[in-house]
Amino acid sequence: MLMKREMQILWKNPIYVFCMVIFPIAVVLFFTTMLDEGQPSSLPVGIVDADNTTTSRGLIRRLDAFQSSHIAANYSTVAEARNAIQRNEIYAFIYIPKGMTEKLIAGRQPKISYYYSQACAMSGSLLMKDLKTVATLGSAGVGMATMQAKGLTSQQMQSLLQPIHIDLHQIANPWSNYNVYLSTVLVPGVLMLFIFLISAYSIGTELKFGRSKEWIRLANGNMFVAILGKFLPHTLIWLAIVFGYEYYIYGVMHFPYEGSAWDIILLSLLHVFASQGFGIFAFGLLPSLRMSMSVCSLWAVLSISMAGSAFPVMGMDAPLQSLSWLFPLRHYFMVYQITVFNGFPLLEAWFHFAALVAFALLPYMVIGKIKNAMQNYVYIP
Amino acid sequence: MQCRIMSIFRNITEAISDACFIWAQEMHYVIRDEGVLIFFFIVPLAYPLLYSWIYNNETVHEVPVVVVDNSHTSLSRQFIRHCDASPDVKILCYAADLDEAKSLVSRQIAKGIYYIPSEFDIKVNRMEQATISVYVDMSLMLTYKAIYQTAMAVSQQMGAIIQTNVTRPATKREEQISAQPLAVEDVPIFNPAGGYGSFVLPAVLMLIFQQTLVLGIGMSAGTARERNRYHELIPIDRHYQGVLRIVGGKALCYFMIYAIMGAYLTLAIPRLFNFVHIAQWSDLLALMLPYSLSCIFFGMIVSCIVRYRENVMLLMVFVSIPLLFLTGVNWPQSNIPSFWQSISWLFPSTFGVRAFVRLNTMGGTLSDIMLEYRILWGQAIFYFIITSIVYRHQIYISRANALERIEHMGRKLEIGEKIRKRRRRLELPS
Repeated sequence: MLMKREMQILWKNPIYVFCMVIFPIAVVLFFTTMLDEGQPSSLPVGIVDADNTTTSRGLIRRLDAFQSSHIAANYSTVAEARNAIQRNEIYAFIYIPKGMTEKLIAGRQPKISYYYSQACAMSGSLLMKDLKTVATLGSAGVGMATMQAKGLTSQQMQSLLQPIHIDLHQIANPWSNYNVYLSTVLVPGVLMLFIFLISAYSIGTELKFGRSKEWIRLANGNMFVAILGKFLPHTLIWLAIVFGYEYYIYGVMHFPYEGSAWDIILLSLLHVFASQGFGIFAFGLLPSLRMSMSVCSLWAVLSISMAGSAFPVMGMDAPLQSLSWLFPLRHYFMVYQITVFNGFPLLEAWFHFAALVAFALLPYMVIGKIKNAMQNYVYIP
Repeated sequence: MQCRIMSIFRNITEAISDACFIWAQEMHYVIRDEGVLIFFFIVPLAYPLLYSWIYNNETVHEVPVVVVDNSHTSLSRQFIRHCDASPDVKILCYAADLDEAKSLVSRQIAKGIYYIPSEFDIKVNRMEQATISVYVDMSLMLTYKAIYQTAMAVSQQMGAIIQTNVTRPATKREEQISAQPLAVEDVPIFNPAGGYGSFVLPAVLMLIFQQTLVLGIGMSAGTARERNRYHELIPIDRHYQGVLRIVGGKALCYFMIYAIMGAYLTLAIPRLFNFVHIAQWSDLLALMLPYSLSCIFFGMIVSCIVRYRENVMLLMVFVSIPLLFLTGVNWPQSNIPSFWQSISWLFPSTFGVRAFVRLNTMGGTLSDIMLEYRILWGQAIFYFIITSIVYRHQIYISRANALERIEHMGRKLEIGEKIRKRRRRLELPS
């Protein structure tokens, strides 16, 4: 009975269709298509080439050949190039002073400068990496000529130029693909926001539209049955959305994961239950539609920063590190990265796992309060 | 002639006084409604503080790394010592083998592994290329960068020393040159420390400005509807007559509040937490004027869509995160797919954030943000026109409904009158 009634409510109010199906799908598509490139490529870079020789042009060509950099324009002075950055035309520029080639041949160690804007951190660090490689290669080219003249073998030259080689193993995401980073945390974060809000909203509107007594009556006054009956249809829809999303990123987009499919399923279940638990709890704590929804939205938006996927929690101040435990998304992220992403055993994430279960059980604490609110409160706009 | 001028004059004064009345009324609603108060005052005041606190440390330092040293030589220990001395990496402990190191990583105690093979020292002394393996947990970009870049820097530095030992240059200068024939100077400009807060916070501040404004306006409009007996946005009142008066009066109220909030967000917060702030005040003022106007009118359009006050939260809150990405602070603007680029043109925040970042973080001037500046004015005017049309429609609806009601009441009265008359007629003969 309760479920049937709830289905009718969901069907009648278009806001549910939008917030439970259309917007979540739009968000999934937004992040996955937006970051589809994985790593930004062909970022516009400027050139200030005061030297203008074959060597300097060779250097520039080599930089242009890199995946991230794309030579967009030539400028005659540094000031002009800096203005171009401020106008957002380029992200970085390379300055080759006059007499670079001459000094290089004469062995007087010329200096080239590379200016990159850190106002967009991602482009800054990517372009920086390209430049470092080009400069090392340029240096190596010069040294190689001298060494060849001295009669060294190519193996000797290589070990001389780079005596210690760093062999990098990027576990679980070898392409350092940003889509894998961001879409796996931001999308669940936004889904969580929807689940929080809709859970609080659907209880609150019972009160607002004066249906609360009918709701309790249908459950024969048993609050446990009332909540379960009301939220079971929600849970099913949310699970469909979350599983659809997981299937899309792992099945269609082929995001890497080291864990098993069971890890993903378990995490998705916890994701939905914990978020619904938090949403209902928020309403129970502040039994007013507007306050509980405000708390839910503020909490959910904050949790995206507090999850620590972009700026790590270990870099925050100590009080914030403890506060991060209050955010379900933080635990979601930890369980995700330990079990699904890195494929470590679930035991290593037991604390975060337990925390998510605790979030799912939170409504138990406020069940009496919700009942009281439903029977005695009147909605005031 | 004089009469006409007088009447125009009277019209204007009347319009102004009506607008002022609506402004006072709106101000009254805003202050009395706790839902609106949250979004107009508490969130813009508290959220930036919270975000600044989160990102206050800007960079990660001392990322814990575990070492597997199979070489056990002075050279390998030198490598480890140098890494430990660097600001970004902290050597947590030695592990006996890779398995033990891996278990430390899986328990989230360490974020990466430096593995030095047993033949490391031998290879270096044999003039062969030696290898150090770096294993990183890729779940965090910033820790990955810290671990990898530190290993790179230390290996290059040690490599240069090894190289000069082998080639034995004659002078100190020659030593430098042979190690690096071409010197490279990299100069990070605008936000030189590469701090996370300094680059993401300006965007967040401007976004908070727009989102709280839209949410607050939507809430107050929702309340006005719910308070109204007939669920209409515009009450039937002598003062609520002209479109311009209503739109102007309401906008003035929001503008007054957000002039203060805007100053707090763009001036006080960056100074309070010492994030980069190198904007000229005159340019900032020039930017904030069209930005706040376009946000206000945008918010007023959104507010006409919502029927119930809480729905605006369902609509607007989730948009914040995609909007942050569309501004181009996280993902470079040049690489945003064109479809999403075109969607981003709808929102004032896209251009507001871009312009603000360039003024505040990159020290640009008004001429550098001319494009965004013009678009913002365009948006302000465009949204103003749309708002006027939508409000006009609302007035039309409420008037039509009111007329209907009056007619209805009139008919009721008429019928009552007729009945009474008939009764009187019936009563008279008797």
